[in-house]
Amino acid sequence: MNETNSKGIRLDPRTELLLLIIANVVAFTYSAQWIEFAVIGILALLLICCGCIKSALKWIVFFICLVGIQYYVIPILPKILVIMFSVLTVYIRKLFPCLMIGALILKTTPVRFLIISLRKWHIPQKMIIPLSITLRYFPAIKEEQRHIRDAMKLRKIRGFSRKLECMVVPMLMSATGTADELSAAAITRGIENPIEKTCIVDLRFHIQDYICLIVGCIFIIAANITY
Amino acid sequence: MNQKSNKLQVKDLVTIGIFSAIYFVINLVVMISGGITPLLWIFMPPILSLVCGVIYMLLVAKVQKTGAVLIMGLITGIIYVATGQFTLVLLVTFGLACIVAEIIRKITGYNNFKGNLLGYAFFSLGMVGSPLPIWLFRDSFSQQMVTQGMPADYVATMNAATPVRVLVVMVVATFLLAFVGGLIGKALLKKHFEKAGMV
Repeated sequence: MNETNSKGIRLDPRTELLLLIIANVVAFTYSAQWIEFAVIGILALLLICCGCIKSALKWIVFFICLVGIQYYVIPILPKILVIMFSVLTVYIRKLFPCLMIGALILKTTPVRFLIISLRKWHIPQKMIIPLSITLRYFPAIKEEQRHIRDAMKLRKIRGFSRKLECMVVPMLMSATGTADELSAAAITRGIENPIEKTCIVDLRFHIQDYICLIVGCIFIIAANITY
Repeated sequence: MNQKSNKLQVKDLVTIGIFSAIYFVINLVVMISGGITPLLWIFMPPILSLVCGVIYMLLVAKVQKTGAVLIMGLITGIIYVATGQFTLVLLVTFGLACIVAEIIRKITGYNNFKGNLLGYAFFSLGMVGSPLPIWLFRDSFSQQMVTQGMPADYVATMNAATPVRVLVVMVVATFLLAFVGGLIGKALLKKHFEKAGMV
């Protein structure tokens, strides 16, 4: 996670979260084809403006591939494959706007900025702590899984339910251990201090935030009108 | 720190966070390995309720306080919505299911296995919100799929395969399998965690 993003504009984390919600709404209301293309285009532009040129290109290429498959490959496929592929392309394309904004958040916003912005929305501390832990624990699960799989290779473990048990139980075991360690670390850093937390970073809405939100609202309206 | 108090301490919050992460990952694995067939999507809630029993049972054993299940459900719902998988319907059903589960836990006391089992059955019903839009907004849903390039006969088959009684079957199956999942979870708890003195 890069702390100082010098190139490109920087958005307030709150704007990014709002955009995520907007993208969700738009993705489930639009039905006209051009809105989808416009959403993807604008989001790619946003990614480029924020300095993630590489990932913007990656998303665009991926999207064009999916559309290409849908219009040029699917008509010549046999019927069974048609159903499989069209479900794939349609569903994944539906996820695209949210995935792109998610990538933007991951690339440009450290988790602690996200926490600050949630705190500014007066979301209770009891929700913020577990949520941030959850977000940070995903990579740890991946690593854990690798270790478990290695360990399982040493033993002969057969059968689906046995395998599942051997996957889940060690994961939960280590999770309980990690919970103790993490909470000890957090308490020593004063997380239980009841005084309102201050922050050195000044998060504020700027002109680019307002522009993004206005564009988002326009898309919601457009998606609802063009039925 | 008062250990006896019914308020959630930092340690409990951290535990809830980690367990939510694991719960979500297992959800995701089931969803992906189930493939993209919508038929499996419909039967995802029962499968999940079977698999995730151990996570829930361990969580309620470790955090015997008000709000643990609610927070876990809300986090899972928020992440689902944030990744754009589902509509806000999921968040609502998760919220409702978790509130019911919380009430049951409160009434039966937090250390009661039967109460936890019943609570888990209701908690599992939260996942029903994921395929629920098929029934809630059937017309606009199928129309949208057709305009986005799904073959019309496929949508028709899907509509034919999902009459209201399938919804009923799904809900009942989720509810019943949750009991099985909860019992499996309890057995695993006894086999692994209680021996190790972790509960």
